[in-house]
Amino acid sequence: MASLIRSWIPLLILQSFLVAIAFGSKEAEEFSEALLLKPLPDRKVLAHFHFENRAPPSNSHGRHHHLFPKAISQLVQKFRVKEMELSFTQGRWNHEHWGGFDPLSSMNAKPVGVELWAVFDVPQSQVDTSWKNLTHALSGLFCASINFLESSTSYAAPTWGFGTNSDKLRYGSLPREAVCTENLTPWLKLLPCRDKDGISALMNRPSVYRGFYHSQRLHLSTVESGQEGLGSGIVLEQTLTVVLQPETTSVETNMQPSWSLSSLFGRKVVGSCVLAKSSNVYLQLEGRLGHESKNVDTEIEAHKLWKNADFDLSLKPDRVLRESSSLLFIFDIDKSSDSEPFDLGLTWKLPSKWSCQQAPLQATRFLMGSGNERGAIAILLKATESQEKLPGRVVTDGRCTIKANIFQIFPWYVKVYYHTLQIFVDQQQKTDCEVLKKINVSPSTDKVSSGMLEMMLELPCEVKSAAISIEYDKGFLHIDEYPPDANQGFDIPSALISFPSHHASLDFQEELSKSPLLSSFKEKSLVRSYTEVLLVPLTTPDFSMPYNVITITCTIFALYFGSLLNVLRRRIGEEERFLKSQGKKTFGLKQLLSRLTAKIRGRPIEPPSSDSPAAQSSFLSSKLIFKIILVAGAAAAWQYFSTDN
Amino acid sequence: MEETSDRLNPTTDTSGVTPEFDPKTMRSTKPGLKRLFITTSVLFSFLLGVPFLWKSVEIYRSPLPFHDIDSLSDQIESTPLRFPCNLHAVFVGFESKDPDNLRSQIQDGINQLTHQSSQCGSCNVSISVTVQNLAEQCLETLAHNPSTCSYRCGVIIRNEFGVGLDDTVDESLNDVFSGCSENSGKTYSVVVVNKENANGEDEVIKAVVGKRRHAWVVGSGLEERYGDIVARVSEIFVKVFMNGGRDEESIHGEFMPVGSDGKIVLSFSLLNSNPRDWVYDWDFQRIDDALLAPVTKALAPIANISVESQVLYHTPKSSFSSWDEKLQSYIFRTSDLPFFVNSNEWHLDTSAGASGRSKILQFVVYIPSGKECPLLLQLPNGEISKTNGFISPMWGGVIVWNPESCDKDSESPIRNTISPQDLEQIVEIFLGQFRQLFGFKSEAIYTSGLGTYKILPSERGFTEWELDVLSRKHTCFNLHSCSTTLGSLSRLVRSLPRMIIKDEIGEQVKYSLKAAKLAQSNASLGGYSSSASSSREARSLAENAFFHPSIMSVSYFSYEHCFAVYSPFFLPVVGHIVLAAFREWKRYRQEKAKYLTWLTRKKTA
Repeated sequence: MASLIRSWIPLLILQSFLVAIAFGSKEAEEFSEALLLKPLPDRKVLAHFHFENRAPPSNSHGRHHHLFPKAISQLVQKFRVKEMELSFTQGRWNHEHWGGFDPLSSMNAKPVGVELWAVFDVPQSQVDTSWKNLTHALSGLFCASINFLESSTSYAAPTWGFGTNSDKLRYGSLPREAVCTENLTPWLKLLPCRDKDGISALMNRPSVYRGFYHSQRLHLSTVESGQEGLGSGIVLEQTLTVVLQPETTSVETNMQPSWSLSSLFGRKVVGSCVLAKSSNVYLQLEGRLGHESKNVDTEIEAHKLWKNADFDLSLKPDRVLRESSSLLFIFDIDKSSDSEPFDLGLTWKLPSKWSCQQAPLQATRFLMGSGNERGAIAILLKATESQEKLPGRVVTDGRCTIKANIFQIFPWYVKVYYHTLQIFVDQQQKTDCEVLKKINVSPSTDKVSSGMLEMMLELPCEVKSAAISIEYDKGFLHIDEYPPDANQGFDIPSALISFPSHHASLDFQEELSKSPLLSSFKEKSLVRSYTEVLLVPLTTPDFSMPYNVITITCTIFALYFGSLLNVLRRRIGEEERFLKSQGKKTFGLKQLLSRLTAKIRGRPIEPPSSDSPAAQSSFLSSKLIFKIILVAGAAAAWQYFSTDN
Repeated sequence: MEETSDRLNPTTDTSGVTPEFDPKTMRSTKPGLKRLFITTSVLFSFLLGVPFLWKSVEIYRSPLPFHDIDSLSDQIESTPLRFPCNLHAVFVGFESKDPDNLRSQIQDGINQLTHQSSQCGSCNVSISVTVQNLAEQCLETLAHNPSTCSYRCGVIIRNEFGVGLDDTVDESLNDVFSGCSENSGKTYSVVVVNKENANGEDEVIKAVVGKRRHAWVVGSGLEERYGDIVARVSEIFVKVFMNGGRDEESIHGEFMPVGSDGKIVLSFSLLNSNPRDWVYDWDFQRIDDALLAPVTKALAPIANISVESQVLYHTPKSSFSSWDEKLQSYIFRTSDLPFFVNSNEWHLDTSAGASGRSKILQFVVYIPSGKECPLLLQLPNGEISKTNGFISPMWGGVIVWNPESCDKDSESPIRNTISPQDLEQIVEIFLGQFRQLFGFKSEAIYTSGLGTYKILPSERGFTEWELDVLSRKHTCFNLHSCSTTLGSLSRLVRSLPRMIIKDEIGEQVKYSLKAAKLAQSNASLGGYSSSASSSREARSLAENAFFHPSIMSVSYFSYEHCFAVYSPFFLPVVGHIVLAAFREWKRYRQEKAKYLTWLTRKKTA
């Protein structure tokens, strides 16, 4: 069949080899997978899946790929994304129990719903269009309504409050987005092994979504090659963080629950993803080091670490690393197979208690005020126990201070009065200049853009609590702008509290820092925490109101018009003559009406030459009573039937 | 109140003036007109207001040229588009032939071959014949088309022609006919050389079709069999140059895998069915640069082609295969092909940001897993397919590539790269499939009833005359799809009388029709590229109009809604007015009758 082409192919073989020589050997695309397991103090277990895919600098991005997902690369090429992070989260990170001062929480504790931020590599004027196109593309890629972030009322351009300083940064979040398996499947599609093989095979949807917290994150950044004429490399980091509750059979309440991978996920790992450069499982135990000796050279000592009086591990770790306050067991899952699946288990023997390191201040946010007209938003920062021990205090002018950045987006229908900003430190109101170091406000414009508030507070180290309150009026939306479930209320996205002088990092002093997970822990990351999402009830109109108004107005107009017309063509003289001639025979309503009209017009009643008015009135009243009863009966029937249905 | 007092008068002096005056049946004064006038004027003002109201609730609909759309589709249906083509036949070494006679014979032959198929994209032939006799003197037909190539007499030397490689002959012919002007359609030339019968034996007639637009027939003793030769010349022209040597049945000419923006994305995917058995990778960048770039360059006038590739893992096929003991391999049959592509697991899609409205052709290399290796395709006649692949029109093609050895030696999977030789073979099959998607065959020999023709392949995948065929078909396809799109748009618009149609849509339809007209006129003048580009424009404008966002979200303000809003006002008011006017009119007639009877009574009295 192909003999036609076959005849000229040999001519080109030579050429193709020449090309190959010219290009030389290139760096290859790399993929690695890792799973970090960590028992939490409140009897839960954290599982953190970490996948990293690196594409080396090349000119063929978006065109030829081996491991790296083509779709992501095309996205980066098309929208000139420099850095981007997209997260889908369900549940709220418990900063008190699950930690707030380690790289894991500062990177993976995300606000509820969808959060997207991106830095673009385009001229300033095109950033907004790039952002809009990117939201649409991501929306299609991840089966989510990220395209709602397109409208300028839903995103903001943070200057310094977000942590990344760039004027080409855009940030937006959708607190109401429901996150479920339809978002996870496209996310998994970006992994070379999807959930068919390797660590990701553990992602059994029912067990993953049963957890207390679930956050799926995609972070990509481009790495400049530095070489002339060569494109930039891309690093794609995908993480999934879940907090699960192991099922316990023990009756002792202070005993930590024992678990294994199969009991947590309902599945076992039957081998690594063959495409991964490294695939490891880590188990991190916190607060375990106080009494144990420092050197673990001997075999017995090492053995003691994973089978001791406190707990038992079901598998022997390949290596053990230690940090100031935690132990890290490393398992290589390459050796596991179908016949011998990797099923790590942890059995506690003695009750054990420890606490996680917390951020210097713990933030909560709430609404104040009542009614549908106005209110106030308050952010409360409370000192945590571990505050004194933390590094990162700044001593300026002989005073010890903690810096805290607050970044908050207000939708335009929450009309914030920035002059009402009040700051209380330890229940005492402070003037702005005392604690407020820097503030950046961009007010909202109705139906055009959302408002943004960035503040840098400098609080004294011995602070117990700090509160910030700001008042707002609730705006009115156009009837078209209400969402389908308007009575539920409107969400104000989470505020971000970050501590610019505090950086979290975990350094296991691992010379083999080839593991991407450990090297990402080693990097100093800004300590940050997100507050709750607020639900603001706005005045919602009765959506059938326009029709009611139309109907009532029309009826009134019709009545007015009809009566005017009747008055215009009325012949009073003739009627009177008629009445006179009919006088003897007319009783009842007509007479009553004529009397009534006469009364209204203020004329003296010409008493009709009538017989006994008593008889007449009795006749009248009986008819009237009948009518009233009829109407009342109809009303009662209506009421009965309408309530019945 | 004047009227009432007037009317009171008769009652007061009834008994006095006329004893026969009956107040019940007659009246003495003229009935008044004031009330009648008021009520009728109100009624009329309402009636006058109705058109204004109608106008105010009317929905904006840009006027679409329905008539033009219908006439365009009628025209495309009834008179297929034809391009002017020139055929220049040169007979070398023919002694006693009249060129005009030959011309009419060739014309007859062409008519015979084309009369049954006057499909879109065929040629409007004009023929010129040159006969060069043994003394190297030429006789030419009076060319009614002055722009055809002028053949310089004696350039082709009878006995030296056709010696050597076919490729060099093709090149030399290109030099001979290099003076061709191209402004009124393409010129195809067929050279017939009657050689001296040197050996005395009956030599076989050799017919070759070149890479450009030339063909030649070489043989000896052709003068005697010239009827046969004339038939072959017309056959070369009709079957090869005009129809591209393809079967009419294979793929219908109306399908062209080109997106409406004139782009094709060739998406190559290497599917490792089970990476636990083996993992194969390829160096596609090299293939792209070396082998695919010339093809995309050659096809540039037809479509803007971009190439991308990816490697996917864990992608089992969704049909079953069975073990064949005799062949020592797994077999899948042609009946399984509809189920071979596993749309659940093969996520071949490119990103939404990349494509737009371009056509994506998927080319898939499937590497079977250890459980189904080697995997072979069995044809319906029981043979094993040589290419081990298949195409799906308008979607792309699939090739099953079996690794060298199907034994899994070690526990850990081996990571291999497909060798350049294998990869080139795969690309050969790809190109064959690609040609097939465009409707061309990939055989070097075209056989017809009269004999066989050798077809010289081009390094670029497509020869020039094939590209001509494609460009004609492309114009046709674009115009056809433009007319069907506009036709369905007009049907849709006419079926929904209360749908908003923006001006933008109207403009797009207008421009699309204009571009279609331009394409038709360009085609009839022989401008291949200009007609292709304007037909592409026509098609993309038509699709833009059809897929305009304002049409997709139909804002449908229904009649029911209208009634619900306006009836609470208009029903009671109109009732009042009509009734009042009616009553007043009735009363006026009554009173007038009364007055008339009184008048007659007075007259008689």
